[in-house]
Amino acid sequence: MAITRRSWLRLTGATGAGLMSGADLFADFFQPAATASSAAAELKTLITSCGLCDSTCGMRASVQDGVLRFVEGLPGDQHSNGGICAKGTSSISTIYDPDRLKYPMKRTNPNKSLHSDPGWVRITWEEALATMEARFKAYLAQSGPESLLFVTRNSPDLFARFMNALGVVNRVDHNDLCYVADRIIQRYTMGPHTFAHDFENSKYILLFGWDLIARSKVVFCHQFTAARDNGAKVVCFNPQYSPTARMSDEWYPIRPGSDLAVVLAIIHVLLDEELYNRDFVREFTNFTEFEQEIRANFRQYSPEWAEKLTDVPAADIRRIAREFGTRGPSVAPLHKKTIGANYANSTQVAHAISVLNILAGTIDRPGGRYFPRTISIPAVDSVYPPPKYPPKTGRRVDGRDKLPLVTEANNGMFSTLSDGMLNRFPGVIKGIFWQGYSLNSFPRPERVAQALKTAEFMVVLDILPVDAALMADIVLPSTTFLEGSDLIARTNNAKSPQVVVRQPVVSAPFETRSLGWLAIELGKRLAPDYFRTSDGAWISSSRLLDEKTKRAGLGETFAEFRSKGLVTIDRPFVPATKFSTATGKCQLYVPEFAKLSYDPLPVWKPKREQPSQSYPYYLLTYIPSMHRRNSTQNNPILHRMMPENSAVMHPALAAQHGVREGDKVRVSSRVGSVVLPAHLTHTVRPDCVLIAHGFGHVSPMLRRAGGKGVRDSDLIPDRTIDDLLADSNFGGSGCIMDAVVSVEVVLR
Amino acid sequence: MTNYGWLFDAKRCLECHACEAACSQWNGGSPPAQFRAVRGFESGAFPNVRTQVLSLSCNHCLNASCVKVCPTKAMTRRADGIIHVNKDVCVGCGLCSRFCPFGALKLDESSRKMTKCEMCAPRVDGGLQPACVSVCPTQALQWGPWDEIRQNGSDRTENFVHVWTSPAVRFITGTWKQS
Repeated sequence: MAITRRSWLRLTGATGAGLMSGADLFADFFQPAATASSAAAELKTLITSCGLCDSTCGMRASVQDGVLRFVEGLPGDQHSNGGICAKGTSSISTIYDPDRLKYPMKRTNPNKSLHSDPGWVRITWEEALATMEARFKAYLAQSGPESLLFVTRNSPDLFARFMNALGVVNRVDHNDLCYVADRIIQRYTMGPHTFAHDFENSKYILLFGWDLIARSKVVFCHQFTAARDNGAKVVCFNPQYSPTARMSDEWYPIRPGSDLAVVLAIIHVLLDEELYNRDFVREFTNFTEFEQEIRANFRQYSPEWAEKLTDVPAADIRRIAREFGTRGPSVAPLHKKTIGANYANSTQVAHAISVLNILAGTIDRPGGRYFPRTISIPAVDSVYPPPKYPPKTGRRVDGRDKLPLVTEANNGMFSTLSDGMLNRFPGVIKGIFWQGYSLNSFPRPERVAQALKTAEFMVVLDILPVDAALMADIVLPSTTFLEGSDLIARTNNAKSPQVVVRQPVVSAPFETRSLGWLAIELGKRLAPDYFRTSDGAWISSSRLLDEKTKRAGLGETFAEFRSKGLVTIDRPFVPATKFSTATGKCQLYVPEFAKLSYDPLPVWKPKREQPSQSYPYYLLTYIPSMHRRNSTQNNPILHRMMPENSAVMHPALAAQHGVREGDKVRVSSRVGSVVLPAHLTHTVRPDCVLIAHGFGHVSPMLRRAGGKGVRDSDLIPDRTIDDLLADSNFGGSGCIMDAVVSVEVVLR
Repeated sequence: MTNYGWLFDAKRCLECHACEAACSQWNGGSPPAQFRAVRGFESGAFPNVRTQVLSLSCNHCLNASCVKVCPTKAMTRRADGIIHVNKDVCVGCGLCSRFCPFGALKLDESSRKMTKCEMCAPRVDGGLQPACVSVCPTQALQWGPWDEIRQNGSDRTENFVHVWTSPAVRFITGTWKQS
């Protein structure tokens, strides 16, 4: 019997309604079944790795007739443990999404707005590159590098080289909404930044907002269940009864933004009752040197004090602290958005949790937070050393220069960008390159669009016609991770080194190009000296990959490594005895912070916005398990699972405003309001409104996701750099949950 | 030849919907087929609330009503117990779906034939697990010879009613123990 797996490619909408994205021209690509030679064509299996999140799960891809049929997990991969999430397995449907950008295009409508048709017309790559060259050259000559804004990550290395070669100062990324505070804290308290936790050997796990189960980050999910299988106790603090809370032993519906108080009180008990790991603390930390300051600092934070701020009973805090101190190995993981960027006190939370882990004595020890043992893959600058880069001078529109530690971490800030472009330095930015980010990610996207409008020229590279593309002068079609090549070293679960391949399992369709390709092409035109090898030839990405493979000891060529796909080096785990801080020790008290007049030890600070008469409820946002932030809402399979978001609230809160299940409600904050259906549940505190992130795309060219759901970010205040300074928010947290809201019914 | 069955361990389920996505991706269609669904159930009142998640598809019942009632004998059981639709014979009358206690049968609007989970039979024939089981990040959803599966779990759990059709599904109930 035969089950056809071809019919899935016959997507409706490949013709018609394609006026703007030109999808009607490409029916053949989206209906390969019609042209496939025979049903019995050989099925090839290729190894690659997922590019959707930092889990980078190994993938086994089945390809037939050049068409990707199925992807599943790769057995033997320590990151994925052979599993894969809904986003990863559905990524095929993104490749074959008829809404995909296919050719470079330019706008014909001079009126830039999120709400009008840009009037795109197809152009050649040559025209696109020549226009970018002319514009960027003119801006550099007239106004210097400060006039260029790059909204993109600092990767791949080829693109970083391109930006360095131009002397780009204004590069911003999402990490102020994500992990930069944690990164800074780790750097000064224990060493290099890591998300790796040895859960399987932990016996006691404390989760402060850590909710990666609900994000289905596979690398953490299977380690978490392994911890439970091995008998670990898990205690979860979260205002929402999330999937992580369901899989924990104890759940405390903590008051939003008050986790810091519980952590401080636990430290108080550990010190008070001498329950910390004395051997580790004496030998590997600066505890002895600063014992007086440390004890004095935490003496004020009793469990009774914390109870009043957090709604967590003092007796429970005391018991949990004793369990944490005696039932180890214990660990309190911290990861990215979970808590590290959500509130004005998030830098303090990150520091307090770091202190907790150091007192547990599990830094780079079994059952604790550890430094991944990785294979170092050389970057382009070590393979082909560049000429000296120009100095980075000019005004930072995001104000990052006022936060030296954020500058040192080389992360720019989303939350202060619009204030910088509109108020502090209007007109400074003339040309913008934008890649891989959605406008929804920024607090107050409409205000960001206003800011973007002040630039003369904007280029967007993306897979889909995202909202930001509506503001662009030139739109460029990007490849997906399933069409690219790379070497991926395991980090988030790497007690022994492992490298997995990323390779094109299908060829890049239409005229889609990768960011690395674009770096070289723009580099040749704008900074040729930086894109030649020592023998004068242009840098080629394939030769570069061969060199990286060779220098990392993975094989003679990338092709050779490709045939292996996955390499693991069996090496025993030797715990660190020297830590990469200035003193070589874990630093509870951070002298460098004191020098900058920051608090050298974590101290209590409330979140920025508190419920008031006008806005009586806390806003909570979350990313649902089946969506990757803003980028998968147009995927047919994931869209069906969750096409839009709702205002999730407790029935008691709903009753106060006469809200019933499914009613349309208006949720307002001091900066904006959204209208969406209400969903009533007992899984959230009665003083919170919970809205999923990632929805509310306005681009009509996203024919599934456009116009569905609302942007949580419309409710989230953007920041000025002075706000951050006033909050002593030296880790630069974007405060994406630090908002309060009101609720009213608008439609039944 | 042995029968096959499902084993579901609710405590391990992340509610990540990977099984559901893999099912859709494997079976294709436009809109993509959905023969497996992940559903959450809530009970109790805040703060003593509880949730439970189930991932369910056709249970390839040992005493299947769909096979019994099909007037054209389109609903067929393979030697290994996988129940599939013979598309050459199916007239799309939908009688099977009326008698299925699990809502596992769906009418494909374009072909006017019934469709259902066929346990990824081509994968099984090739020695692979069904797509949904293969992707599960925490082994919450398992699959195997029914003689083994039936030993390893209970025939009922909260929010699942065991019925006379003898569904080939078992549940691991309860939670983890601390050591």
